[in-house]
Amino acid sequence: MDVLRSESTASDDRSTTPAVELAETRRRPGPRAKRLLDLYLAAYSSATNEFPYWYTRRYMQLDGEIPVVRRATALKEAFSHLTPTIYPGELIAMGKAHYYRGSFPMPWLSEAYYMAKEDELYQAALAKGATSADQVSRFGSGGGNVTASFGKVVSIAGKFGIRQEEVPALLAVARSWRGKSVDDLGHRYEQMVPGYPRKEEIMRSIVCMFDSGFTLPQGREVINYYYPLQHGFDGLLALLDERRAEVAGRADGDGLVGMNRLYFYQAARLVLEGIQAWITNYAGEARRLETREADPVLRQEYGELAECLEWIAHHPPRTFRQAMQLCWTAHVAVLNEDCISGLSPGRLGQVLYPYYRQDIQAGELTDPEALELLEVLRVKFTCLDCFASMGVVGGVLSGNTFNNLSLGGLTPDGQPASNELEELILEAGIRCASPQPTLSVLYDEKLPEQFLLKATECTKLAGTGYPAWVSNQTAMNFLLDQFGREGMTPREVRAWAIGGCLETSPCSWMELRLADRSYPIPGGSGQPTSVGVHFVSLPKILELVLFDGLDRRTGRRVFEPHGQPLESFEQLFECLQRYFSQAVEVLTRTNNIQHDIWRKNNMAVFHSLLKPDCLDRGHHIGELGYRYNGTFNIETCGTINLVNSLAALHTRLYRERAFDLEALQEAILHNFGYRPADQLGSYSLADQQKAEGGERFDRIHHLCLTAPKYGNDDPQADTMLARWEDWFCAMCRTYESLYGKPLYPCQISVSTHGPMGAATLATPDGRLAGTTFADASMSAYPGTDRNGPYALFTSATCWDHSRSQNSQLNLKLHPSVVQGRTGTRKLLELTRNYLRRGAFHIQYNIISSQTLRDAQQHPENYRGLMVRVAGFTQYWVELGKPIQDEVIARTEYEGV
Amino acid sequence: MSEQPTAWIFDIQGHAVHDGPGCRTLVFLSGCSLRCRWCANPEGQLMRPRLMVAANRCADHCTRCLKACPQGAIRLDPLGTPGKRLRFDRSLCDRCDDFPCVTACYHQALSICGRQIRLDDLMRILQRDRSFWGPEGGVTFTGGEPLVQADFLIAALRECHRSWMHTAVETCAQVPTADLLSALDSLDWLLVDLKQMDPARHRQGTGVDNRLILDNLRAVASSGWSGRLVIRLPLIPGYNDDPVNLAATLRFLEEIGAGELEILPLHRLGQSKYEQLGMADPYVDQSPPSQERVEEIRCFFAAGGIACHCGGDRPW
Repeated sequence: MDVLRSESTASDDRSTTPAVELAETRRRPGPRAKRLLDLYLAAYSSATNEFPYWYTRRYMQLDGEIPVVRRATALKEAFSHLTPTIYPGELIAMGKAHYYRGSFPMPWLSEAYYMAKEDELYQAALAKGATSADQVSRFGSGGGNVTASFGKVVSIAGKFGIRQEEVPALLAVARSWRGKSVDDLGHRYEQMVPGYPRKEEIMRSIVCMFDSGFTLPQGREVINYYYPLQHGFDGLLALLDERRAEVAGRADGDGLVGMNRLYFYQAARLVLEGIQAWITNYAGEARRLETREADPVLRQEYGELAECLEWIAHHPPRTFRQAMQLCWTAHVAVLNEDCISGLSPGRLGQVLYPYYRQDIQAGELTDPEALELLEVLRVKFTCLDCFASMGVVGGVLSGNTFNNLSLGGLTPDGQPASNELEELILEAGIRCASPQPTLSVLYDEKLPEQFLLKATECTKLAGTGYPAWVSNQTAMNFLLDQFGREGMTPREVRAWAIGGCLETSPCSWMELRLADRSYPIPGGSGQPTSVGVHFVSLPKILELVLFDGLDRRTGRRVFEPHGQPLESFEQLFECLQRYFSQAVEVLTRTNNIQHDIWRKNNMAVFHSLLKPDCLDRGHHIGELGYRYNGTFNIETCGTINLVNSLAALHTRLYRERAFDLEALQEAILHNFGYRPADQLGSYSLADQQKAEGGERFDRIHHLCLTAPKYGNDDPQADTMLARWEDWFCAMCRTYESLYGKPLYPCQISVSTHGPMGAATLATPDGRLAGTTFADASMSAYPGTDRNGPYALFTSATCWDHSRSQNSQLNLKLHPSVVQGRTGTRKLLELTRNYLRRGAFHIQYNIISSQTLRDAQQHPENYRGLMVRVAGFTQYWVELGKPIQDEVIARTEYEGV
Repeated sequence: MSEQPTAWIFDIQGHAVHDGPGCRTLVFLSGCSLRCRWCANPEGQLMRPRLMVAANRCADHCTRCLKACPQGAIRLDPLGTPGKRLRFDRSLCDRCDDFPCVTACYHQALSICGRQIRLDDLMRILQRDRSFWGPEGGVTFTGGEPLVQADFLIAALRECHRSWMHTAVETCAQVPTADLLSALDSLDWLLVDLKQMDPARHRQGTGVDNRLILDNLRAVASSGWSGRLVIRLPLIPGYNDDPVNLAATLRFLEEIGAGELEILPLHRLGQSKYEQLGMADPYVDQSPPSQERVEEIRCFFAAGGIACHCGGDRPW
């Protein structure tokens, strides 16, 4: 048996080759990051009125000014007046507001939603359906959410605390935007769209989740740090002066908007000045703290921080730390300019690599120092809050801000783009586990095994669900298809990154020169994504088909009766297509109007300056200054409940004729004989309780539940998915955004499967009324995937994912499946072999349902627990209960 | 293809990571030649469909299964607690073929475990799964005792090898020696349980003595087979974790020249299956061995020159 012995040794040798640390123990943040993270965990989401006050005051003084200059002047005023605060131990400073976890409303977008419920503005918003999503959305009541007022803190918009004495001014500022905000002005014009009343009914019935142009008009995109990094703010001002002089009074062949270039350059200049003043105020605060600090270590830190800020307020960064501070400053500046979720730093490890490499080689930086900076940067990102309505922040985002950092991918030359700094970013993600920035690996077959195993280790050990794994090739195919018409090349497409949750976003390579060397760095060059039609509830559309356009939950008519007897599956499918198209038609047009109002009065100025090619072209985002503009989309939710419902209808109703349509309708209206979910307080199918006399629906419910289900490699269900995707992916392209480009599908649920499920009756797949839909777009409905992950993967890849901006599959694994060194490698195999099939995304929760149940019972013991929901990671205690129930119910793959 | 080999199976699991190298698909063949008291897969002991009753799903208002059963095997216990009002006469159920009660059940409380599968259907599933295995993975036949259906198993192994799949078999070795040896022809890995060295104690725990098992292990070890033999010790507290048995096990490993031992500590994950089958679980109150104890035993074998591992330490 010597043979056996030697083979065993050989295998051991193989497994030690990767020099990755594979210790199983959870690693901890360094003391500095830990202090700052603990401070975050103790902090409340806090709102201030500072920015809105100064912005509004200046804006209102400038009646008659050119809109872009007017806005820039107001932004400059607001940035210059923000109170700087620096917390002890911070190496990277600056934030959205002076609170540790601060944010503020932007009433110029929409002002009604954060008014007191009795306020007439709020009531008006309610009447037009703009706040219907708020009513079915739930925030988690734990963590830093201020869901109820206490002491002298008033809860606004369901999540944020504001000091009582600031409330009157907050409301006065908000009221001054009445009739002027994007929301109000857009509403005036959207009503001119034929069939507008249907849009209100669509919003009211939660067929659609929320409006686009005044909620989160930007985001789900990748920022570009190149220009400030290369030129510094003074250098940019000089460039703007130069360009301004060139174009003043010239149309250069463009009789429509050629003259506008002058105003854009002037506006960009003004905002830059405001941002410089803002940074300088922080530098001043650091100097002030330096003079009064007794502790010599802290005193020196304040001095170094002041020096860093003073430098980057004017000049291009020279060191890794300065470059990181400048990127962070630019990031926060963009977030303060507009209401944004999902502003992704992109491939930050590749952007900062030139500085890292230079400092390491010069001996001026060590890996532990770089790691500490990366850890504290995580805390800064985690502190970001996004102030928007409860339906948006709670119902869609679960309070998450989606600052997704991408890793890996390819270089312009098609070589692996991962580097040592990215491995440190992964290590920081393991040690300083926090929701932001969440991480995504752009998986490519060319990436080194060492890097992939390090990323897999992060998936395993961070316990947060990141990194997400996305297929580089599938994404690039999508991007070339969508942006080829705007000139995207195979070289350029390689610069892409994830924007927001899982939004494949176009990027570009920019040549960064540092100390006589040139580095192509990737950065965003496209418009926001996840703009356009926000989350259409597919199961709700099917419900409306079954009830001839009438919402039986609210008693309101959403669509004109289709008048079809639904005698065949084909007839039913046609009605589904018709209703879906009708919803998309009116939503596309109203949202185009909202975004058009936004671009006229509320355009991005600083953000435009950052993105290629606004600086060259002299046009901001609203005038197609960006390199890629075809980014608007149609989002859906509940794909798998639709697919399972179609499979049940096809099999049971139409083929077997096991029951007739009337019997099904009756069963749906009676929730298959179960009590309503909200009475019970649980939104998980397993917990639902039978109502008295409910047994008469037992048979039909049984037939629906046992009908073919997606996720089992069962062609009877999978063909429904393939058929739906085939039609849906094509139909999106027949609609056009305000920028004259075709729309595309976006298939991620974020958290909408909670509130949208809450507004949907029982479905033909056996799901009960009010319960949460299946998460994501490729996850199976909890408990229905009975044949293991390989069957699920086979079902999921029965269609071409590259026809959609994304697809999403979340898998819950029991920790025993990934145990040990070999467990890491097997987890990589699982990931890789799914993505090799052309799938777009997979992500894991490696936690037992038992732990999650305990966390629901005893939240006080789980303040730091994070889970992956659908495209994002969030603290368990900050999730609403419907989403918690859904995560618990997910099928847990154990592999015993 | 009229003569397709067919087998009784009770499960197929994708992405199994514990029973052989890499990511694997596990095929659970029904029927077993032992009756281990700690059995984790009691539903696989018989080569026939088994009725599983998930009491937590049973609806109190419903007696459809009772009415559907022509044998009268189900009766109502008026004193039963909710979900446990129905009593099943398992001696009758274990002779049933068509299970009208399962068809009648509207609540997915009753289900059948165990079905027949044709070799070509099994191969279709394996051909699908193999694209997810990665370079090291493959198929592991387990059970039950897979060699109870030796003809099918050998045909399946041959077919898998012909398709360049990595094959493993997990066996208790209480099988005809000729069957075991001819399975080796198309086999890469063999995982064999060694439960107890004392014949009488072996009979106590499993229903038979261990003579055939030990002889089979000797036969495999001296067969010149070039695959990898992994002996596994299911560690059952109070049954086989005593120094005498451990020392005897070590001596036996030395005797046959086996260099590797995996410890499988008793686990209770099969507990609910006993309830669903209406069987008494003899180990219901037995807790798994402590980590410290497992580590002590691992060290004992390691000191004896055996590559001994457990759980996450396993080298594959």
